[in-house]
This record gives sequence, structure tokens and C-alpha cells, in this order.
Amino acid sequence: MSASADRPARGSPALRLHRELAAIWGTGPGLQRLAAVSHSIVGLRFMATAFVFFAIGGVLGMLTRVQLATPEATFMSPETYNQVFTMHGSMMLFLFAVPMVEGIAVYLTPKILGTRDFAFPRLTAYGYWCYLFGGTILTGGLLAGVAPDTGWFMYTPLSSNVYTPGINADVWLLGVTFVEISALTLAVEIVVSILKMRAPGMSLDRMPIFGWYMLTTALMMVAAFPPLILGSILLETERAFHLPFFDPTRGGDPLLWQHLFWLFGHPDVYIIFLPMAGVLSTIIPVFANRPLVGYPAIVVSIIALAFVSFGIWVHHMFTVGIPHLALAFFSASTAIVAVPTAVQVFSWLASLAHGRPRWDVPMLYIFGFFFVFAMGGLTGVMLAIVPFDWQAHDSYFVVAHLHYVVAGAFAFPMLAALYYWLPLLTGRKAVHRLSVPAFWLIFVGFNLTFFLMHLVGLRGMPRRVYTYRGGEGWLWLNLLSSVGGFIMTIGFALVVIDLLAQLRYGRRVRRDPWGAATLEWAMPIPPVPYNFASLPHIATGPDHAAPDGLAASLARGEGYLGFARNGWQETLGVHMTSGVPEQLIILARPTYLPLYTALATAAAVLSMLFHLYPLALAAALLVIGLFLLAAQSAGLSREYGLLPVGHGVSVPPHTEVAGSPPWWALIFTLVANGTLFTSLVFGTLYLWIAAPNWPPAETFAPDLRLAVITIAALAVAAVGARVSLWALAAGGMTRIWIGLAMLGLLVAIAADAALIAGVVPRPTEHALGATAAALLFYVALHAGIGLLFFVSNLLRLGAGLISPRRTVDLRLTRLWLDYTVLTGAIALGLVLALPSLVAILGARP
Amino acid sequence: MTTRSVPPRQLWWLAAGFALWCSALAVLYAVHAIGCAFAWSAGPLRLGLALVLLAHLAAIGWMWRSLNEAGPGLELSRTDVFLHTVGVWSVVAAFVTTVLTLGPPLLLTMCM
Repeated sequence: MSASADRPARGSPALRLHRELAAIWGTGPGLQRLAAVSHSIVGLRFMATAFVFFAIGGVLGMLTRVQLATPEATFMSPETYNQVFTMHGSMMLFLFAVPMVEGIAVYLTPKILGTRDFAFPRLTAYGYWCYLFGGTILTGGLLAGVAPDTGWFMYTPLSSNVYTPGINADVWLLGVTFVEISALTLAVEIVVSILKMRAPGMSLDRMPIFGWYMLTTALMMVAAFPPLILGSILLETERAFHLPFFDPTRGGDPLLWQHLFWLFGHPDVYIIFLPMAGVLSTIIPVFANRPLVGYPAIVVSIIALAFVSFGIWVHHMFTVGIPHLALAFFSASTAIVAVPTAVQVFSWLASLAHGRPRWDVPMLYIFGFFFVFAMGGLTGVMLAIVPFDWQAHDSYFVVAHLHYVVAGAFAFPMLAALYYWLPLLTGRKAVHRLSVPAFWLIFVGFNLTFFLMHLVGLRGMPRRVYTYRGGEGWLWLNLLSSVGGFIMTIGFALVVIDLLAQLRYGRRVRRDPWGAATLEWAMPIPPVPYNFASLPHIATGPDHAAPDGLAASLARGEGYLGFARNGWQETLGVHMTSGVPEQLIILARPTYLPLYTALATAAAVLSMLFHLYPLALAAALLVIGLFLLAAQSAGLSREYGLLPVGHGVSVPPHTEVAGSPPWWALIFTLVANGTLFTSLVFGTLYLWIAAPNWPPAETFAPDLRLAVITIAALAVAAVGARVSLWALAAGGMTRIWIGLAMLGLLVAIAADAALIAGVVPRPTEHALGATAAALLFYVALHAGIGLLFFVSNLLRLGAGLISPRRTVDLRLTRLWLDYTVLTGAIALGLVLALPSLVAILGARP
Repeated sequence: MTTRSVPPRQLWWLAAGFALWCSALAVLYAVHAIGCAFAWSAGPLRLGLALVLLAHLAAIGWMWRSLNEAGPGLELSRTDVFLHTVGVWSVVAAFVTTVLTLGPPLLLTMCM
């Protein structure tokens, strides 16, 4: 069957339905594409942009190999080399690997889970634009010769303004934070969408294993990115405003940066790996011609991996002087993380061993993955052993290891995924004459490049050196490694040519060319904007769909929502565990708002980069205004009650249910926020116990009365939010209670600001004052955001978007204020306790 | 079996065991750092760490027992059976991980 044969026959009911849905879900041509919010378009943009950054990062990697190919090379100056290797790592990790994972998740997850889009299409688009602009800032810095140059992990004090006085480090801190905010928004969206927007009947035990991987990965992102965002904010405030969080001469500690960075950095390895493992768990059963072995065991191992990966960050810090006993916790945990990984590897091998495997291009890359991942895993266990790590630390052995586990374990499954799912986009399969040699060039080149780095590392070559003398025994290994790098690059270039050739000359394929059993193959090729003309009902186990038979029935509208209504972009929200339909979710249509908001955000970031703070403030206010404007166009103008969705089922719209996507999104946002707050508390206590030059010369004595006023005013605001919700249900004085709550927040902000103004020692003089000010600022910021919630509530009440059955806005505000009161009490309690904590430091020997 | 929906709150059981492992690791690391900073005697510090570990093991063990006693129940759906199985094995894995990663280090020299 050709690609065009997947379209409904002319004049059929299916064609009529297709036209109606395409008119609703489609994105206009030309400049209107900038308004796209469809997950298919945004997902493809993510992947294409990530490939561009991969190409730039790859060229930078090649430049480092040219420099190191021969001793005493003058190809690059040391200063340029520092920028090149820093940008290579930063681009590959922050602008390629994580965004590529997000792109795959955004594009594929709704299709595999049998739904029409993600829960917050405008947020998806905003996330993409933030990523693009953040990446552009970093790339612009490279072109302007002011790229970051202190290594991709930005260790302090090297990255402080004492040793890196230009804007190089600021480009990293602001650009990467910009990109991370994008990642965080997408993570929340992925979690909510997987939990609430699967095909009807798709209970968690019937969910394709890919969904479990993506759900866990997104939850990890929710918890892992906030420590890095906090660290970046603290370091930027140190650089811009001289708050000494990491300056040991003023009570800061450079190791705090390492803790915050690796609290993100190590889980990030698994954030990159797990989605690729999801790809493998999806593809291998298809080519093994049998279901995946050990589905429940894999789910357990994913959960174990997710948690244990957070508990091993200190293995990046084995040489900083932590006592042996504490190192042993992290050494043992690092070793044991191999177990859940091995469970998955053996499950894949068992699936192949008990099936009837067949070879095709994706399987070549899966073979490549097994080889490099086993190597990387073994060296990982070696580096988990503290004495070995002390010997190999900061040597090229570590560079080799990280490329095997991050680059190899990501690149090979990614290419397998590319060849596997490309027929879904193009309706054609790869040209073997190009794709097979491309694989072997990449495989041989990769191993030649990075295996030899183990050896040169064991011979003592340190990381990050821009040249060497030549008599150390490193010459031939470096030269061959560089040759390998070029072979690998030729392989990747051949892949690009192969993909272009596939578009033109590839073999046309019928639907579901691999004989898969997941839902993305039950849609037209290439996918239509609405994915499915009607939503399937899932009544079988995971990965047991029969796409070929299902597709025609869905196209005829025989599933759920097989019709168009009110011009709405409709999809179904389901019960989290059982998959029973429980709400009709009406999604946002294409809009330029995400683009404008991201542009305003970029203006704020750029203004901060060039220290134009009034302009940054103005841009930030514009961002807030645009978010409020976006909120005004969300929801429905009246109550609808139950609406039919097909198969005799009727459900209310999402605006009229308790567990709507915005509610869950705020819960997971608060989880991320709570992680950031916990990191801030950890940072405060860490500096107290570990930093030099404590206690400060001046006595710290926060005003108890102001602290009590702050917390009491926050409590009043939280009560006001609660009562306003009751008043709405009772038809009472909602606006008055909102006004009272806003007054409470204003009082809290004023009292908190007075507390900040009275902090002694001054925040620029000692880390004690800086951390106290940071904790207090956190409280004020959340109270301020609470005010914005209320402003939005008032605007939406006025617009008739809130009613006794449409209460989600007020419930979101209540939840936000509950969180603000809780964290406010902890933050103020810690600030009040700091004098006592400082006093007992005198008991130290 | 019926198709009664499993309450979403039961999903917390999937994470509860390893969340306690994380808590054990964080508390042990913190208590050890504070003890070493203030030069507490090795004996009481080791005892304190052991008590922290035992408290966490007891909590994870209690969860294991509770899950086993509760069982998936005959009147519940296959989703419940699946989530119960995954929950039990997650708790078991967390218990073993806690013993193996946090137990033996307590035998080492305290603050060297």
C-alpha cells in the first residue's frame, strides 16, 4: 500500500471526517507556521533543531581532535580550545541530548498512547521557542568569541567573576537556564499527558512500555533540573551582584556548586539513557517477533534506576576530600545501579533469544548499542570503586567512559529509532546500500575514537589540556583517536545523505512496515494533524495493538470522538490508573502567543546578560502580562455538563472536573519547585556546616516580629483563597475574599522585604547574609506569584470563565498559597534558627 | 475480576520504598557530616548512624509486610494486580538496596 493509499476514499464518510478534523486541527501555511502548537510540528522542530546543534557540537568535537592529533599543535590557542571543548560538552548535553529526548517524547508519545496531542499545546510551543532562543544565545556567544570557557560543568571558583571576568560564564548560566526552563515545562507536560491522556481503556498495565520510560524520565526531569537552575541562579547572582555563595573568602564554598550541579548531572545521564532504553524496549520485540520479556520487571527496574540515579551524585566528587565512610555510600550505590540496568539488558537479550529475530537497519544500531553500552557500563563499575577513581579521575579514561555511556548509549538507539520511525513520516524505508556502510563507519569510528581514550587516560593524559609535548606515550593513541573521529563523522554524514536519499528514492512501504503492535502505526502515513480520526479503545495488553486492522476503523470514526464539534480540538482525559474516560479535554488552537512570550523571555535573558537590569525587569513584566493574556483565552465561556464522546459514553469538559490537566500540572510544578526549595535549604545548611570562614564577624539577628507578621499574612492569604472558593460555590462574595487575600500577600511581601533589608551581615559581605536573603526572597517571590494568581482569577471571573462548576482557577490559587505558606514557614523558621546554628559552630574543634 | 478503578493515590506505593532509600541516604550523609564536623566520638556517631539505618529498614520492612498482607484482592482488576506486583517488588528492591549500599559502610572508620 502506498502512502497515499492510507487516505480515506474520496467522498467517503471517512474523508468527510478527515476534512472536518483537518480544518480544526491544522496549522496554516507560511508565517502561520510560527503559530503552530501541534505536538507533531513542535516535536519535529525539536528534533531538527537538536540535530543542528548536534552538527555544531560535532564540528567542535572534531576541532578538539584536530588539536590533539599531534603534539605541540598550534591549530588553536589555549583560549579558543577552552571555548571549543566547553561548548562541545554543553551543546551535546544541553542542546542536543536532552532536547532530542524531548523531541522524541513530544512527537511520539501521544501517538503511541493513542491520543491526539499533549495536554498544553501552547506550553509545548513555548518550550520549543525557549530552547531555540537559549541555544541561539549560546551559539551566538561562540560566534562572537565569548563562549563559555570553563568546562561544561562550570566549576567554581574558575567560573566566578574573579577568574572569568568577561560574559563567557554568564552566557552559559543564562543560556542554559533558559533551556532548562523549557525542559522543565515539557517535563511537567509529559507527566500530566501520560497520566491523564491515554487512549480509553489503556490502563497502566496495558500502557506500552515506552510510556513507562517517558513517564519516569519526565518525573526525573521534574526533580533533577531544579538543583541546576538554583545553582545557576546563585552563581549568576554571585557574578552579577557579588553575593558570595561560592566564594570561600566570604563564607561561601565552591563545593556547593559541585553538589548542586551533580545533583542534576548524574540523573541527567539516566534522563538521556532511559528514553533510549524505551526505544529499545519498543523496537526489540518487533524485530524479535515476540512480546517483550518481563514487562513488570522492567517497570520495577525503571523505578529503581530513577531513584538510585539520584543517590550517586557524589561519585563525581570522590577526590574532593569527603570522608571515606560517606564515599562508601555512594560507591556502593554507584555499583548497585548496574543491577536494574542489567535487568533491562537481560530482558532485551531474552526477548531476542526466545523470539525469531530478523535483521534490518535498526537492529544494526541495536547491536552497536549493546556493544558500547556494555563497555561503558563496565568502566562505570570500575570508576565506582573509589581507589580506582582516584587514579583515573580527571584523566581521559573518564572522557572515554562518559562518551561510551552518554554518547554511545544515546546515539546508537537514537539512530535505531530514526530508521525505525522514519517510514512513519515519509512512507519510505532506508536505502540499505548507504545505511549499512554508514552504520559500520559510525561503529568503527566511535570505538576507535573512544576506546583509545581509555588507554591514553590510563597512561596519565589529563582532561582539558590543549596540547602535550609528545614524549609521554600519548602521540599514537591520540592520532588514531582523531582518525577514528573523522571516520565516525564520515559515517554520520553518510546517514544524512541516506536520509535525504530515502526521501527521494526509498522503498515505498505499506502501513506498519515492521509489523509493530503499537498505536502510532494505526494512523495515516504521514500522520495527520489530529493523529486519529477517532480514538481507539484498548482492551488488550501492552504492545498488543493490531495497527493494520485498527486503522481503517478509526479513520471511519468508529472509535471515541469520531466527529467534529463546535470547532473544538477535542481529546479524552482518562482515569489515571484504569484508563476509563472521565473528561473531555478541549485543547488550545494555534496562536502566536508562545512565540511572543518566548521572545519577551529572551529579551529578559539578554538584558541580564548585558547587565541592563531595568530592561530585564520590563521584559519580565511583559512575560507576565503575556501569560495573563494567555490565561484569558483558556477554558470555556459557559458550563456544558455531560457531553457525548461516542460509544454511549458522556463526560464533562475538563473545565468542570476536579482532576483536570491544569490541576495535575500545578502539582508536578510544585514538586519541581519543592526540589528547588529543598536544594536551597540544603545549600544553607551545607554552607553552615562545611564552608570556611564561618561564623561571620557580625552577629545575625533577624527581626522576629517581622517574621511573624510575614507568616501570619501569608496564612491570612491562604485562608482567603479557601474562603473565596467556598464563596464561589455558595454564590457569595468571592471578589471580596480575593481582595482580602491579596491584601494579606501585600503585607507579607512588605514585611519580608523589610526582613531582607535588615539582614546583617549584608548579603554581599558574607554567605550567611546571602543565604538568608535568598531564603527570604524565595518567600517574597512566591507571595508575588500568588498575587498574579489572584489577578488572573479576578480577570477570569469578570470574563465569566469561572463559575460554581468551573472552579479550577480558584483551586489552583489555593494550592499555590498552601505551598507558599508551607515553604514560607520553613524558610522563615530556618532564617530565625540561623543565629542559634551559628552560635553552636563555636563548639567545633 | 472486575474493572473497579485503582485509586491514583496507590501509585505512591511504586515510589515509596525507594523514596525511603533516598531519605536514608540523605539523613545518614547529613548526620555523618555533622558528627564529623563537631568531632563526635566514633562510638556514639556509629550508633546514631546505625539507628538511622535501622529505622529506615524498619519502615521499608513495614511497607513490604503491609503490601503483602493487603494483597491485590480477588475483587479488583488486573491493573490492581499489576500495580500491587510492581509495588511489592519495588519495596523489596529498595530494602535490598538499603541493606547493601548503606549497611557495610557503617563498619568503616568514621571521619578519616
